[in-house]
Amino acid sequence: MAELSLQHIDKIYDNNVQAVFDFNMDVKDGELIVLVGPSGCGKSTTLRMVAGLEDISGGKLFLDGRDITQTPAKDRDMAMVFQNYALYGHMTIYENMAFSLTLRKENPNVIHKKVLAAAEILGLTSQLNKKPAQLSGGQRQRVAMGRSIVRNPKVFLFDEPLSNLDAKLRGATRREILLLHKRLGATMLYVTHDQTEALTLADRIVCMSMGHVQQIGTPLELYDSPANLFVAGFIGLPPMNFYDVKVENGSLHGKGFTVELTDEEKDTLSGYNGKEITLGVRPEDIAEGGSLPVKVFSNENLGMNTLVHGHMGDNNRISAKLRGWTNYKNGDIVNVTFKRKHFFNKETTNAIRKEAR
Amino acid sequence: MTEERTIKLDRLRYTKNTASSRLVYLAILLDVFFFVSIYKSDVGSYYYNILIGASILYNLIFMLAAFLASEGVKNYKKGYTWLLMALGAIQVARIFIIPVQAHAATITIKKVSYQVMENSQFIRVTLYLALSALCLFAAAVINLQKSNALASHIASLEGQKA
Repeated sequence: MAELSLQHIDKIYDNNVQAVFDFNMDVKDGELIVLVGPSGCGKSTTLRMVAGLEDISGGKLFLDGRDITQTPAKDRDMAMVFQNYALYGHMTIYENMAFSLTLRKENPNVIHKKVLAAAEILGLTSQLNKKPAQLSGGQRQRVAMGRSIVRNPKVFLFDEPLSNLDAKLRGATRREILLLHKRLGATMLYVTHDQTEALTLADRIVCMSMGHVQQIGTPLELYDSPANLFVAGFIGLPPMNFYDVKVENGSLHGKGFTVELTDEEKDTLSGYNGKEITLGVRPEDIAEGGSLPVKVFSNENLGMNTLVHGHMGDNNRISAKLRGWTNYKNGDIVNVTFKRKHFFNKETTNAIRKEAR
Repeated sequence: MTEERTIKLDRLRYTKNTASSRLVYLAILLDVFFFVSIYKSDVGSYYYNILIGASILYNLIFMLAAFLASEGVKNYKKGYTWLLMALGAIQVARIFIIPVQAHAATITIKKVSYQVMENSQFIRVTLYLALSALCLFAAAVINLQKSNALASHIASLEGQKA
């Protein structure tokens, strides 16, 4: 299929607002890259620049080694799937899927073969004579994908394609996209603000904030080893708990609580003795049965787990995902322990790691 | 049957019969041209008889029926073929009602004799009606062929499934 390379890409609008700063990434052939971040972080702008729908203010974009920075969108051989499907309401599903090829004046028999093949992949064969209004949201999104598939583009671009779907349908369509990616082996760029989509779909995730790339890595890398406070807070649901603590003699001292460090953690923080850092603990890394008392104020049963919200020490908010079904009441005290901790430099907000010393 | 031919037939399942429906639209347009041209040459009160009302009424019915048929043939409805044939035949017959009679008629006003419809106008309106009829016949024939082909293709697909 295709290899995509984004080199020092910037986007500056006419009003001098910079939306994307020095974006660098190499997308391998057949890779599914998810751009994730909050609204306004520049992920859709980046995707639109790749598609050719926005001008690139600085930097270079290469597709299979060919510079396509100034190439018009129609000549880039990329297909984009939009959040709002962008289907033609007066055309049937067949006509919608065939439309781009009809415009290119391809042989009608070839178009027919491609449309039927795409419909077969997407399970839309029985819907081909219907109009978009007669289909569900998930089916319409599949039609939008089908319209891309028939073009056999080098790169597929998805701009928040599941945002208009309800939660159940979103899950099902997400699995379909994943299957589609495996089946086609296509290079795909996928934009979402939903971290669950990012973690489940991506070969690699690009986490963005305020136009800057915060971290590029596999879903596990972003979850297990977040590069900074932003990534740590953005990836993971419920979000990570953060506390300002001081490193002193092999312990972390927060407001009204003390956490003992393991030998390995002491080693990691050996350069920070006497300094303040930020401690991060994922709710799922908190377990019952330690020495840290938590005063419960809310208990949410999720089935396999219970999400307990409370206060620790001097009114430090804490969320803990505890195993099993518990029924803590407001005011109950639960003793917890931190199974795994993340450390961040308070000034730079970057993660503190052994190798980073 | 070649693969090309099979695909061509299979395409009929998902595409409209736009050839027929567009020909019918053209027939309606030509009929409108005919109708707005026919009374231009009135001399005295030649056209003021029962035919003028009847022709207006028929023209409305024609446009309605032709439009209905255009939608029908778009979806390969075989029954509309016969309606199109009938409408085409009536368009031919209409040539012999007003245009031929008006072309042959003369009116004398103050001892001066006038031909009601000049040759040029006669040729023009006759051509409009003839072309309109031709479009309707062509649309009917195309629809008949395509609807038959589609029906037998669907039957063979169902036979394969069974």
